Parts: sequence; structure tokens; C-alpha cells
Amino acid sequence: MSRATLRLSLPFLLALALAPGMTPRAEGTDSGTGDVLLQAMQRELHRAFTALSKSDPAPYFLSYSAFDQDMASVVGSSGGLLASVHFRRREADVTMRVGSVALDNTHDGSRSSGMQSTTLPLEDDKDAIARVLWQLTDREYKQAAPALLRVKTDTAVRSEEEDKSPDFSKETPQTHVDEATAHFPFDQHAWDGEVRRLSAGFNKYPEVYTSLVALQVARTRFYFVSSEGGSLVDPGRMVRLIIEAETRADDGMELLRVETFQAPAPDQLPREAELAAKIEKMAADLKALRAAPLAEPFAGPALLSGRAAAVFFHEVLGHRLEGHRQRDENEGQTFTKKVNQQVLPEFLTVVDDPTQRELAGVALAGAYAFDDEGVPASRVVAIQDGILKNFLTSRMPIKNFDRSNGHGRRQPGLMPTGRQGNLIVTSTRTVKDSDLRAKLIEEVKKQGKPYGLYFEDIQGGFTLTTRELPQSFQVLPVMVWRVYPDGRPDELVRGVDIVGTPLAALNRILLTGDTPQVFNGICGAESGNIPVAAVAPAMLFSEMEVQKRAHSRARPPILPPPGFENPPPASKKPAPEGKRP
Amino acid sequence: MNRPRRTLPELLEAVIFVAVLALCAPAVPAQTKAANPSSTAVSSADPVLQAMLEELARSKSLKMDNVPPPYYIEYRISDVDEYDADAAFGALRGSRRTRARVLRAVVRVGGYKQDSYFGSGMGQAEIVPLDDDPLALRRQIWLATDNAYKAASEALTAKQALLKEYTPDQPVDDFAQAPILESIGPLAVLEVDPKHWEGMLEQASALFRTDPQVESLETSLRFRALNQYFVNSEGTVTRQGSLSYVMTISGATQAPDGMRLERSPYTMTASLKELPRPEQFQADTLKMLDTLKKLREAPVVEEEYRGPVIFAPDAASDVFASLVGANVVGRKPRPGESARTTGGFAASYKSRVLPDFLSVTDDATLVSFQGHTLAGAYQIDDEGVKASTVRVIQDGELVNYLLGREPIRDFPVSNGHGRAGPGAPPFPSTAVLVVQTKAPVAPEDLKKKMLEMCRNAGKPYGYIVETLGPRLSPRLLYRVWEKDGREELVRGGVFNELDTRALRNDLVAAGSDAEASNKEGALANTVICPSVLFDELEVKRIDTKNSKLPEYLPPPLAASH
Repeated sequence: MSRATLRLSLPFLLALALAPGMTPRAEGTDSGTGDVLLQAMQRELHRAFTALSKSDPAPYFLSYSAFDQDMASVVGSSGGLLASVHFRRREADVTMRVGSVALDNTHDGSRSSGMQSTTLPLEDDKDAIARVLWQLTDREYKQAAPALLRVKTDTAVRSEEEDKSPDFSKETPQTHVDEATAHFPFDQHAWDGEVRRLSAGFNKYPEVYTSLVALQVARTRFYFVSSEGGSLVDPGRMVRLIIEAETRADDGMELLRVETFQAPAPDQLPREAELAAKIEKMAADLKALRAAPLAEPFAGPALLSGRAAAVFFHEVLGHRLEGHRQRDENEGQTFTKKVNQQVLPEFLTVVDDPTQRELAGVALAGAYAFDDEGVPASRVVAIQDGILKNFLTSRMPIKNFDRSNGHGRRQPGLMPTGRQGNLIVTSTRTVKDSDLRAKLIEEVKKQGKPYGLYFEDIQGGFTLTTRELPQSFQVLPVMVWRVYPDGRPDELVRGVDIVGTPLAALNRILLTGDTPQVFNGICGAESGNIPVAAVAPAMLFSEMEVQKRAHSRARPPILPPPGFENPPPASKKPAPEGKRP
Repeated sequence: MNRPRRTLPELLEAVIFVAVLALCAPAVPAQTKAANPSSTAVSSADPVLQAMLEELARSKSLKMDNVPPPYYIEYRISDVDEYDADAAFGALRGSRRTRARVLRAVVRVGGYKQDSYFGSGMGQAEIVPLDDDPLALRRQIWLATDNAYKAASEALTAKQALLKEYTPDQPVDDFAQAPILESIGPLAVLEVDPKHWEGMLEQASALFRTDPQVESLETSLRFRALNQYFVNSEGTVTRQGSLSYVMTISGATQAPDGMRLERSPYTMTASLKELPRPEQFQADTLKMLDTLKKLREAPVVEEEYRGPVIFAPDAASDVFASLVGANVVGRKPRPGESARTTGGFAASYKSRVLPDFLSVTDDATLVSFQGHTLAGAYQIDDEGVKASTVRVIQDGELVNYLLGREPIRDFPVSNGHGRAGPGAPPFPSTAVLVVQTKAPVAPEDLKKKMLEMCRNAGKPYGYIVETLGPRLSPRLLYRVWEKDGREELVRGGVFNELDTRALRNDLVAAGSDAEASNKEGALANTVICPSVLFDELEVKRIDTKNSKLPEYLPPPLAASH
């Protein structure tokens, strides 16, 4: 999410498949063996911390993380496999803080000096693991110690910071060793076939120019040990199936449909027939979108489906609740000084709850037991009855919030920051979902508008992002319908762009539906790509301001796609004869 | 010698995100010879070529309003099958097999004199299916072609606008004519038993146990089969397969004063048979560890030295690759620049660039030398042009350039040196660079000659450099004492002003000990050269003020092997 251009492109997918991966965390099954890796990490950490305590400056905190990953990825397009890979990898990070809790080497812009990364041996060879960790720790010390000097110099010459919080919070170290292994059967060959078949489903639609079907499978174990005495082993597993299809309208506008499915094991994904039907629907949507009229500038009532509302909240609200943004003076800090003030209508409550594993039978992607700093996950009530109460914090303290609430998250190799897990919006002013349309029409009539808008789907920053820093949190509506008050059928429009301040829109929510909907996705921000979920009911807004989206002028492909070379025969004119009748 | 390591996954990412960079593609001819008689029959039987040809035929009808139709279209599909693995301290860290097919589609509008090959008009890269499914392959080709044509139309406009700012004194064509070539070679197949190689990497890297002061010891390999399919609208259809195998041993240690000492010797071949057997790989690793130990104990070079230096063939090959190889390629300068080409020899045509006893040829068709396969060899370049042998330096004088299909002033046609990494645009590159001397000197006489020079100049010693690391910095450098010829390993030396001028003016003799060095580089290439003697070169001491010993001791070893 967070990044605006939310395209699930092949490059990005392949990069995901082949580059350092996300690390899901959920409960495991089966029982495992004694843990050589954990013991080797503990022993070497103790040895390093003892030895370095004699150095000047000495580290006051040291932790080792290891992500043992068994990953597979299958990507197909138009009936052919683009990639099918499977590999194991153990990524390891050493985190070190020198100086003091009040001021250390990771202060402000020097945050990356707290970490060094490498890969560990795949085998349980204690000597080899210890050697690699020793090398990495030594390298990290040589980076952290001079960084502290620079931090001290910078702090001395600069004007005082507004938020004078220390650099590291005090937490109770956790010990939790889950011996389970995150194992499940995975028949890659069979999935090669299914991905091939599914991806061929788009072939019969000449207007779907590019399409992809991608399966990502990860079985992981997260290891964490720290000089504070923390010691964790947490197995996780994740299976994602992503389907993307794209077309281009005659005026050049790119039109995209993405569907993602997430499950704890491959056999819990929707069945092939169901996925094939989804593909038909996506192709039909794109065909309809190509032919749909362009959106006109409009300000009026709007209804967001639960899925669209969930994305909207994740992007517009959730990112602004992330703890570190309250401290960074380059951030907008929308909410920093609004604690205990009304920021949403009083019937809305927003929590982030990574401890909730599923909702109405749907597994939530942002569930975990411990965050990436070894802090137990907790349910955080961020907004209670419309009033801002809390932020999502890592171990970076912020003014008036000096403890982590278990939201320090990241992908391997990056320093954690406060991030969302499962963002859940609940409402006390609800109507039955089946009555929402009538409520929208009622509002349209009340305001005397020609129509209202129904946002069926928002691509948002939600589905996938790049690893770049988020510049703005943008939402990108895809399936938007005009709903007329006079009984005419709904009309699909394309190229809708939400304008104005999206935050202001949040205060124009009139009521909500009564069924929460789940959106599982991958969120990208400063600390990398992590799995998240957002949950919300459908919502009726008294006003949403939209405009025409700026778009590329590139034309659709000039030649018909392969397989559609021969246009339907034109009606034959009778051969001419003489002019005499 | 150092080698930039790029795995296929990294390469894929690079292809995807930065399609402009020239990436690595060891292109070594497959061992079996191409069978040519019925190439048309073969190409119609090859589903990849078939898909390419069908889309090529269709794409000739591309046309947009106010944009000329393409005058030239080409497709290159690189099918890369790669196995890479690495081990550290006796344990495997990674082992994976990756396969990908990368397409590059180039559409040119305009004409041979002036066309759209510029910026985004240089082609589009796309990942295409691994399956030989004609429809799936054609869809990706179709999309890439459409994008390439549209990009070409924009590029032509941009290029014409840019050219209006300059008045070229001698206009050079944008694209060279080339003969039509049909050649269907056999496909290369990568056959590896991962267990065997993993065991070999682990056993060798476990040898860190023999020396407690070794800070790191890693072994790695990268084996690759590359099958390249090429078609263009002029009628050229080629297919060639090649194999490359690289194994590397890297170790590092620190001298008592903190100076970091590194070694990373590697073996690169085009034949599995030439790779070391496990016993040999162990022995090579032990030998390398021994050099690290000796380096640790070796004296640091003296502050200042200016005098004779011998480069052994391995070290000389890096010097020739970077100072001659990189400068004999004919690369068209940017619009508005009047030079013939870019690089150190841009203004040296018909001038002396080496001593007159040396000549240099690039012979891409040379497949082996002294029983070793040559990694840089190929029969057809990546633009579908047959490789030819090019004498670039004759008796010290620069007489020709290595060229692809982008002409430079006075050199209107390709000589089969247009080379490219998978998905990347082609550039002129060396293949097998052969340095020949008219006056070969036996290696022992070369050493005598150096000592005589020392004697005459009143210097107590000269230097022999055996192998080089990054930026031509010595990895194994010996001080050779004038009084008794004794060779003493030293550390911390670096050359100053080892450049084309030194090559031209200070290189005074060459040995009779030519050997072939395969290099992974940006593109696989080979240098065949003898040892060489410089009469005067500066050796200075490297800056080590930031080198610090480990902050604490390495972990004690628990298990014994």
C-alpha cells in the first residue's frame, strides 16, 4: 500500500519471487526437532555481547534475527510458465545499539546504522553459523560505533528536537519457543499445471492485453535472540495467489483488475473452478471498463464496499497512525497532536489487532504472535468512538507513548518501524448491507444530485507496492458505478480519481453496513514489504469529491493479439456486373 | 583476479528494472558443431523460433498515423538455465536452479542512415514463457513489439530534435547492413548433480579449520546453459547454445597491523570436464589459504618504488583486458561529439598504442588454447552476424576496431563483435583477445632482464606481480632481489599510473609463456597473452588507516572435522 502506483507488474512479481521475501507469521503445525540454530545464535550472542562490553563505546543492546525460509513461486501468463522456482534461504540480521537508551547510533537519520545482514548456512552446523554471526557482528560494530560519534556531533550542533523521547524503549524480554514446524505438502509440479491452465483463461479475451497468475508459497521460522534475554522461535506459513489482468481504453487509459487470495496452506486456496470463474469475471469487468464512459468531476454521496472502505482506511488513516511518523519532523504529523480529540465520527472505532487470526472464516494476513523486535503482538485501540487514543508503535518511543505495543515490523534486512497488522474498523451506526443502496439513493435525492457513486473496488496502494519510500498515501478506485435515483440501471464509469483531502472525507461517513469485509495484501513502506489485512464494513459518505484521472495517451496495441489475427469477415458486397438493370 | 558475481535472479531483476545495462552472458559455443544443411526445416520445427518468425511476419504490417512503418525488426530470446550454489565455513548457504527466458525486441523506424535507435527506441525487454507454447510465447512477443514500435516513434522524434542542434561534419550511418545468416546450432543442456557439487563446496570451505586466523572462507559456483534464439526482418535466423562453468574460492584475513588481505581465485571453463575434481579443488583451496597465511606474514612494500615490474600472464591478462580490450571497441559517441569512438584510443587510429613488437587480434572463433576451452568464443554474435577475426593492433599501431552493427566513422560494417547480456542491448565487445609478440623472451630470461635493469639503475630489487584483484591492484606481488634473484612475497602494494601511456611507452619486453585467461566480466571473454616487462612503473603503499582488527576473537570451534 502506501506507494501510489499500485501495479502488480510482472517485474515486481518476479522480483518478489526471486528477491528477499516477506516473512509471514502464523501458527504452525507438526512438531519439530531441537533447535541447533537457536542455540548457536544464543551462544554467539552471549559471547559477542560479553566481549564487546569491554569496547569503547560499548553496545547496550544486541540482537540476532534469522528468517529460515522455504519459498516457492510459480508465475504464468497466457498459458505459459514464466518462472517456477523453489529455494531455501536463511537470512540473518544483526541489530546493535551503542551509546545509551537516551541517544544511540540509530538516532534520526542514522537508523540504518543499527543493522547488518547476510545469509546463514542452511545446515545446522554450529561452527559455521557462529563464524558467520561473528563476522557480521564485527562488521556491525564497525558501522555502529562511528555512527554514534556522528549522531552526537549532529545533535550537538542542531537545534533541539520537538520530540525529546529516548531512542529505545524498555520492554520485558520474551521467551517463547514454538517447536512446531510450518509444514504443509506442496506439489509444485501440480501447481505449475494449475497456474498454466488458469493463466490460459485470459487467452479468449482479445481485450485483455497483459495478464498474470502468480502463486507464492512460504514456510518460515523466525528466530530472535537478544542481549536483554529475549529468545523466540516462531513458525509461519503463507500462500498467496495473485491474478492480474490489464487492458487499455482507446484513449490510452490503463485499466487494471487484481485479485489476491491468501490461505495458510495451498489446499485452502479457492478451487480451480472458482478461480477460473473469477478470471472470467475479471475479463468481463475489463471489457466493461473499456467501454465505460469517463468519470466527470463530481462531489456528492458515495457508497464504498467493505473491501474498498478497508483499503481506504488502511491508506488514508492507518499509515498516519504509525508511531515513527509522529516523531519524524519530515512527516505531515496529521495526528501527532490530536490525541484525545475527535478525528472520526463517534460511531467508528479502529483497532489494529495482530492477535486476531481470522474473521468470519477468512485468515487475516497481518496476524502474528511477536513483532520483529520480539515484542508480543497486542490489540491496539487506536480510535475509540471517533476519538484518537493510541498509535502503532515499535520500540522507538514517541512523545507520551514510551512503550512498544508490538507493531515493530519489517522485512528481513531493514530496521523495524511502527506498522499495521490487521486494521479493523467497526461501527455502531449500521444498516443491513441490503439497505445501503436505498440509503445512497435517499442521500442523492436529499442533496438533489443527479447520481451517487458506488465504489465497488479500490486498488489503492493496497495490493502491491515498490520498496521506495511512500510519498503520499493514494487510493485508486477501479470499479466505480453511477447509481441513479430514477431507477435507471447503475452505470460503470472509468478514470475516477478521489480529490480533496481524503481525511476530510472520513468525517463525512454517515453510516455503515453490518458485515465486515477482509482485504489481505502486502504493504510496502520504509521497513519493507509485510503482509497486512484491513477489515471494514461498507460505508456511506455524504460527500466524496472526484475528478478525471490523468492517464497515459499510449494507444492500445496496434495489431490484434495472436490467435485473433483474422477479423470477422465483412459483409460481402455482390460482385459488380454491367450497369444495365 | 576478481569477478563481479551476478546470479540469474539478480540478472532478471536487472533486466527488468534497468533494461539498458549490459549484463553478463557468458557465451561459449556448445561443444557440438552446428549442423546447418536444413536450417529452415529446423527453424520451423523449433517452437521458439517458429513463434518468433510468426510474430515477425505479422509485425511487418505495424503502422501508426504519421509514423513510418518499421524498416527493421529483431527478436532475441535468451533462455538461461542456471545452477548456483555457495558454501561458507564448511556449510552450504544456498543452492538453486533458476531458469528464465528473456526477450529483447527491437523495432527501428527511419532507415539505415538515420533511425530511431536512441534512448527508449533501443528496444524492449520482456520475460517470456518457459513453455514451448506458441500462443503464450507470441503474446509476449506481440506486446513487446507493440511497445518497441511506439517507443521507436517517440525516439525518432526526440533524436531528430537533438540532432538539429548539431551539424555533423562527417555523418555516419545509424545502422550497418549485414548479410543474411541462417544457422541453427544444437541446444545446450545443463546437466548437474547438485549433491556432488554441494559436497565439494562444503568440503573445501571447511578448510578454514586449518588456519584459525582465516576470517572468511567461501566457495561458490555458477553453471549456466544459455540458448540464444535470434531472428530479424532481413531474414537472419540463428540459434546457438553455450555452456559456462565458474567456480570461485574466496578468503580473507587480516595482517597483524589490520591490513585486509583477500584472495578470490576462480576457474572458468566452457566444459564440465575441465572443472577441478574434488581433490584438486581441496588442494587449490589449501594453496590459496597458504598464500593468505604468507601474505599475513609478509613485509609491507616500501613507501616509494619506481622501476621495472614483470606481470605474469594472469596479471597481464587483466591489464590487457582493461587497457586494450576496453579501448579497441568502436562505440559511436553521443550525437554532437565529433570523435570517432569513445574510450582511451578514440583519437589513436593509425597511431602507436603499444610497443612495435606487439600485435593484438580478436578471434571469437578460437574455441580452445593449449587444451583449455575459451569462454569468450562464439560463432555468431548477438546481432546475428558471423564472427570474424579482427587484427586491431598491428606492430603496435591501432589499425581497426571491434564493431557491432552500429557503424563509426570510416568503419561502416560489423565484424561480428556485437554482444549483449540477456535482455540487454548489444554493444561491441571483445571475445578472445590475443596478444602476440614478435620477440618472445623465455620467462627466466625476462626475469634476468629485469634484474639487469635493477643493477644498471642501482636498485636492490624489482617486482613480479602474479595475479591482480579489482582495479588492477596486486593480490600476489613479489619483490625480486637483484643480488640473488630471490622472490619475496610482499603486501600492501598498488600501482600508480598503470595506464595506456605506460603500456605504450614503458612496456619493453614480452614472454614466450602465453596462456589463456577466461573472464566472467560483464560478458564472458578471454585474453590470451604472455608475461610482460615494464621498465618503469610506480608501486606505492595502500592507505590502511581505516583497517582495524576484529573487535573480538572469533568463536572457538566446537566440532572437529
